Amino acid sequence: MKKLSLLLILLVLILSGCGKSQDTINVSADPKTHGFIFEVNGISIAMNEKAAPIIEKLGKPKAYFEADSCAFQGKEKTYTYNGFELHTYEKDKTDYTLSIIFLDDSVTTKEGITLSSSLSDVKKAYGDKFKQDKGLYTYELDKSKLSFLIENDEVTSVEYKAGDGSK
Amino acid sequence: MKNKKLLIGLVTVLIFVVIMYLFQQLLMPKYMSGIVEGSLIEEYYKETTKHDVIFIGDCEVYENFSPITLWEKYGITSYIRGSAQQLIWQSYYLLEETLKFEKPKIVVFNVLSMEYNEPQKEAYNRMTLDGMKLSITKLKAIKASMMEDESLIDYLLPIFRYHSRWSELTEEDFKYLFKKDKLFSNGYYMRADVKAAGTVPAGKKLPDYQFGSNDYYYLDKMVKLCRDNNIQLVLIKAPALYPYWYEQWDSQMEQYAKANNLMYINFLKLTDKTGIDYNKDTYDGGLHLNVTGAEKLSDYFGNILKTSYGLEDRRNDEKLKTVYQGKVDFYNNMKESQYKEIQAYGYLKRFSNINQ
Repeated sequence: MKKLSLLLILLVLILSGCGKSQDTINVSADPKTHGFIFEVNGISIAMNEKAAPIIEKLGKPKAYFEADSCAFQGKEKTYTYNGFELHTYEKDKTDYTLSIIFLDDSVTTKEGITLSSSLSDVKKAYGDKFKQDKGLYTYELDKSKLSFLIENDEVTSVEYKAGDGSK
Repeated sequence: MKNKKLLIGLVTVLIFVVIMYLFQQLLMPKYMSGIVEGSLIEEYYKETTKHDVIFIGDCEVYENFSPITLWEKYGITSYIRGSAQQLIWQSYYLLEETLKFEKPKIVVFNVLSMEYNEPQKEAYNRMTLDGMKLSITKLKAIKASMMEDESLIDYLLPIFRYHSRWSELTEEDFKYLFKKDKLFSNGYYMRADVKAAGTVPAGKKLPDYQFGSNDYYYLDKMVKLCRDNNIQLVLIKAPALYPYWYEQWDSQMEQYAKANNLMYINFLKLTDKTGIDYNKDTYDGGLHLNVTGAEKLSDYFGNILKTSYGLEDRRNDEKLKTVYQGKVDFYNNMKESQYKEIQAYGYLKRFSNINQ
């Protein structure tokens, strides 16, 4: 009887004790507003920020696309505006900013980098603390990333992206 | 006295194991409603007959091909061992496991997962791995799939992972404690609703389009496994408009297929021949086909399998005829009930909690 009681206590400990909770399956942390900011038409956009107020300020997009990921691990939405795409992710039925991708040189980063800027322009604006892999120069700030794809010394892609805490 | 103590000890341990097992069964997600895709893998073990064709891969196989159409049109027996975001190493180990039960003539692998060289998300891992029967193959699949913060023991004894679900238990957890309903037609996940495809975003520029070494390692293993078992491996890219399938990726698959003497079909380039109409044959804007699209695609693909590999028409096999009549009835009932629901509500209510 004593042994059985001990084993039952052990079982209770297992059921209530260590390990990850179920809700961490989808997203590992609460979204936070930090890091690199993209500015367009006087509107500031940070990553991991609630998307609804930003989308309202930005006005009607040129195009809109939404995709349910396999087995509904969140809905991904893409809003296309002049010069850039805004991507969002969903957590607890709320959309948050996931990434911004430049489509042409009509938009620039807050620090003045756009498509066709040079690598030295990027380094001048953001410094030498980057990670480089296959021409992709990535800067990290808090929970956001800013990446520049450099081909033939020219920026061919700019992307703001949410880091940890997003999907 | 000593024997009595030993017996009491053994009985105590046995009671503990049984209680643990029951708790584990109770606490594990049942995937009977909502995210039903988590039930795909284990439904295979209920099969009573063998298959000439086995599909492996992600949602681009289990939502786009109808084994019942392959049967009705060509007498081809097939099963889809697909799961949500199934990664290539998971496809490989699922195939390895499948070969312990049967030796198909053809294995069809959807190549979209080549874009992922590393494990991506625990929730998807769970939907593939938790449904697998315990075996050495499952252990290898777990080791290949685990994220950095995951541990083997959580997969082997899921009670450690799901213990906190006790406060979220619903009626469904008790109802399906020991037995689950059949939800799929030979691994096919049916959707009868329609949502036309609109503008799909182009793929963003990538620093490197080369598929990863881990991908090729498992693709090579898959080729070898099929060759060793005298199985024809067919590589396909299903006609899903999104996620974006880059031309550079397509070239790599074409070259790989050529170098290894495999058939590779990119159905995205064959829309005219398959007859898929993205205004009518998709339920989610072009990501996955609905049942009319899956039937068109399966009809077209079945003809290729039949003519290229000379698969036998099994419709005159008495045993299979009986088994497949049950499967066809299940399929048609499912289709009819979905159409009735659409007619009544304007949409599929059963999926509304996850799609609306």
